[in-house]
Amino acid sequence: MDRIVQGMHSSEVLKRVREAEGYFITNTARDLSQSDFKNRILLHTDLLAADARERANYFSLEITGGASVHVDILRKQVDPFLKLKLLREKMPNTMFQTLCRGVNLFGYRPYPQNVIRLVVREFAKYVDVWRVFDFMNHVPNMQAVFEEVQMSGKLLEPSICFSTGPEHTDEYYVKKVGEIIEVTGEEISLCIKNHGGLGTPKRIGELVKAIRDKYSDLVIHYHGHNTDGDDIGRITAAVVNGANIVDAADHAFTGYFGPPPILSVIQTLKDYGHTAVGVDEAAVIETSEVLRDQRQHYEYFESQFKGFLPTVQIHKLPGGAMGSSFEQAVKGGFLNKMSEILHEELPKVQRELGNWWSVTPGSQILWTTAVSNVQSGERYGNCSGDLKNLLLGKYGPFPFYRPEDWIYEKAFGPDWRKIVAEQGGVMQIEDMDIDKERSILQDRLGYEPTTQQLVTYLQHPNDAVDFFKFEEKFGKVYVLPPALFFKRGGFTLGEALEFTDHDGKEHVLEVGPLHKHEDGSTSIYFNVDHHQRVFIMAAEAKVEGAAQEVTLSKQEIQELAKIGDIRAPFGANVCEVSVEVGQEVAVGDKLVVLEAMKMQTPVMAAVAGKVEKIAAKVGDAVKVGGKVLKISCAADGSGK
Amino acid sequence: MVANRGEIALRIIRAIQELGHTAVAIYETPDNAALHIRVADEAIWIGDGPRRDYLSIPKIIKAAKDHGVDAIHPGYGFLAENPDFAKACEEAGIIFVGPPHEVISKLGDKVTARNIMAQAGIAMVPGTENLSHGEAGLQEALEFAAKYGYPVMLKATAGGGGRGIRLIENDAQLKEQLPTARSEAKAAFNNDNIYLEKVVIKPRHVEVQIMADNFGNTLHLGTRDCSIQRRNQKLVEIAPSMIPDKKLLDDICATAVQAAKASNYFNAGTVEFLVDKDNKFYFMEINTRVQVEHTVTEMVSGIDIVRTQIKLALGRPLSFTQDDIRLRGHAIEMRINAEDPQNNFMPEGGKTVSVYRSPGGYGVRLDGFVYQGFTIPEVYDSLLVKLTVFGFTWNETVDRMRRCLRNYTIVGPKTTIPFYLNLVNDPDFQKGDFDTSFLETHPHLFDYKDDPSEVNKLARLIAEIHFKKENKYAI
Repeated sequence: MDRIVQGMHSSEVLKRVREAEGYFITNTARDLSQSDFKNRILLHTDLLAADARERANYFSLEITGGASVHVDILRKQVDPFLKLKLLREKMPNTMFQTLCRGVNLFGYRPYPQNVIRLVVREFAKYVDVWRVFDFMNHVPNMQAVFEEVQMSGKLLEPSICFSTGPEHTDEYYVKKVGEIIEVTGEEISLCIKNHGGLGTPKRIGELVKAIRDKYSDLVIHYHGHNTDGDDIGRITAAVVNGANIVDAADHAFTGYFGPPPILSVIQTLKDYGHTAVGVDEAAVIETSEVLRDQRQHYEYFESQFKGFLPTVQIHKLPGGAMGSSFEQAVKGGFLNKMSEILHEELPKVQRELGNWWSVTPGSQILWTTAVSNVQSGERYGNCSGDLKNLLLGKYGPFPFYRPEDWIYEKAFGPDWRKIVAEQGGVMQIEDMDIDKERSILQDRLGYEPTTQQLVTYLQHPNDAVDFFKFEEKFGKVYVLPPALFFKRGGFTLGEALEFTDHDGKEHVLEVGPLHKHEDGSTSIYFNVDHHQRVFIMAAEAKVEGAAQEVTLSKQEIQELAKIGDIRAPFGANVCEVSVEVGQEVAVGDKLVVLEAMKMQTPVMAAVAGKVEKIAAKVGDAVKVGGKVLKISCAADGSGK
Repeated sequence: MVANRGEIALRIIRAIQELGHTAVAIYETPDNAALHIRVADEAIWIGDGPRRDYLSIPKIIKAAKDHGVDAIHPGYGFLAENPDFAKACEEAGIIFVGPPHEVISKLGDKVTARNIMAQAGIAMVPGTENLSHGEAGLQEALEFAAKYGYPVMLKATAGGGGRGIRLIENDAQLKEQLPTARSEAKAAFNNDNIYLEKVVIKPRHVEVQIMADNFGNTLHLGTRDCSIQRRNQKLVEIAPSMIPDKKLLDDICATAVQAAKASNYFNAGTVEFLVDKDNKFYFMEINTRVQVEHTVTEMVSGIDIVRTQIKLALGRPLSFTQDDIRLRGHAIEMRINAEDPQNNFMPEGGKTVSVYRSPGGYGVRLDGFVYQGFTIPEVYDSLLVKLTVFGFTWNETVDRMRRCLRNYTIVGPKTTIPFYLNLVNDPDFQKGDFDTSFLETHPHLFDYKDDPSEVNKLARLIAEIHFKKENKYAI
């Protein structure tokens, strides 16, 4: 049989999968990077592996989507489109796969329909397989993406998110598959998205069989994580029971929370009489030989917590969130409470909030709530904006049951029924004026943006502008190897750094001496391609805008709010300023929205009055107690 | 002794040393790391400055006397065209390398100079006498403008080097600018006389180097073109002029010699002319000093002007005749200034030259005072080095200049080099076709990027990663 190649129409791809004797493998490099390396595996490394991966003849390479689009511009400083273009040049045949969060695209909260459609259309030029999911398994949340992918002729892979517990029955999931097929038809690949790596091999085998029994011709793609060390078992059970495609990754980089090694999957299933269709085992091995030497440069991004974590069956955190959760625990100084959070509070919160699926953005809501419950000592005492939206049904209906009344009361106060009645329901987001956004972007950049730049901007406005400006200043930095890009503590005097630039030109940079000046600035001497150059580094970065050092207690912040001096209740980024200077506000009016740890929380007016001054603007980082805005309140306290 | 600083001090010190004499330098405190005092045989500190000690006749004369100096070369700027200084030298029994103070005095007074030239029948741009003070002066100015039409040029009688000049477009500007120009002239030259001249539209600035001894010989070393200027200050000078009409250039040179003779000129001087688009030329002024741009004339004539100046001052006759002078090839001088051309040539004083690598090779001459590690004093001018190249043909000369500009590495201050690189690549410049409006009519010369190459951008990031305690891309 001819191999499946990029550019084939989805119907032809599905035909070949159905007719094949054996199963296919997706190399989930992106999920590996996200789960075990905080999404930092650089394009440089993926380009090194490109040739061998191309020859390995996978069903697809999952190389974009999830959080990677954001991390590309925020941390790795690479254009997510350029990344796909360059990989495509080196991998002309392999299908590229993405992971799309439905209405939340590659972000953390819903986008307007017209933005979703534009983003999908633009990415579909490079992406051949579209895995789409919704953390509530709410099909309407995925519909716009479904439609755009199907229109593009690319392969749509709707997902059922999988979890465990009394509600998570075969009957439920088979019915959910039916709901999806009703919308998409059977010309899809259906993904069983086991982002936590939950359940036993037996459980997964049963589920695949149940779906297969009902839909004999449906292409089934099993996706799992190896957090408990048993994903090979689940994959094996899935294939034995009729799954067509499974996910795994290159063994040189496998860790604890991502996919298991491809070669182990092949070897195991071979013994069960199942062949990985088309896969060149020698090329699989060669890929890891190429990658092995690179891993040392990523050590810093590996989880602080080493070893498999079978307790995932209790806390259910997705593999993609494990690394960042431990990182937050270390940075937040609550690593010692992790056992309590993971094994007691998180399962409790999950049950209390409806036992739906712990995956973005739901996993962040569960995690943040659990951490806040443990840290503050008062359960649900400080509900995030996203949790409130969840309770209001903004993300979609609860699949099994609604949280109990007391949680609503904690979140919204005694009048919660009225608030839910008035504000409840699925979030309706108006279309965006995309032309207007384009001209705003043009103003911010000083030149006419490309459609791809616009698409990146529409998803992450401030981070995108920062990235484009970074690229203008520093060039295309993906060419720098990780040993250079991730270097800590400076280079050695006389060290020669070699790299090849975007145009294929080779360069050598020799590290010269540092010279500190009286004014605190430092000259750095480099020989760049044998020409001496000096880079002047300023003494230290200035603190700007609202990022000021103020230490106030929670109580003081609340007291100040009552007299109209609005301070940031926690360290956050300002993501919306909802009022203008001179505007009259009433108690409970939304003033600003702050974002911390990917969660948005609105700050409400505690007094009525007129907005006198706004100290923070969108994009500012504010510290705890930092000035946000000022309301001049009426002397008689009217409006209470 | 050299009563000056910077590159010209160094230039003169070299000539003195070549003649087998002892070169004595003077300096103010801000110049205590300057190259001229390191190269000179002796260096005398004359005060904290800035500028006022280089302008102090008593201090300089005293220093000269204390050190038994025989002769003083004033260079350009500072006291070079101050007749009082020449006179003080003469009175102190020290040879002044330049014309006698009477000549400096009458040629330095632009109005007197114009009268001398008028008597000799030399064509001049129409102009006024010194304007009267107060309202009467304004009336004279307005009448002149009414008669010859705008634009007119308001000039300080004692001015020079492009200073004390302003362009006036209408009556209102004239009224507004006249008092300011007068007070500026007073501050700059200690002489508040000002006068008005008609403006020749888009002229070429052509000047003639003349040499005169005390034995009745006055000759010229050909023409220079200094049309490429900004704010009336020269940036680029070439020799000889690229005007194709040889007869016209001969006429200009003959007129220059005539003008020098009419003013009983002695030593080296420069007669400046404006040449309009109809090839009519007008006398402007005689500069009674060695010019910044004398190097281009030296390159094409083979005559060491400063050496000759000293020999003439010591009472010797010119050792060559007009017939001996054969101009060969072309020379271009570019003033490499520590300035930001993209920011209106804002000086970059105070910055340290952390890397300095200069070009060399055939046909290349450098007159500079900058070295690696040198901090440019903020209190003096921004000239770092004059890059002069010679070539047999104009094309060869431009090619050589381009190569030299590319070979230059100056890190620290911004310089005029990227601007000059655009200039040498400009088709009009390559044709030798330019006048004083060149910068206005060729705005693309300012269109260059600081550091455009991809590798330098990447190197900047690597430098940040190298420098910062915490690599923010690795957290």
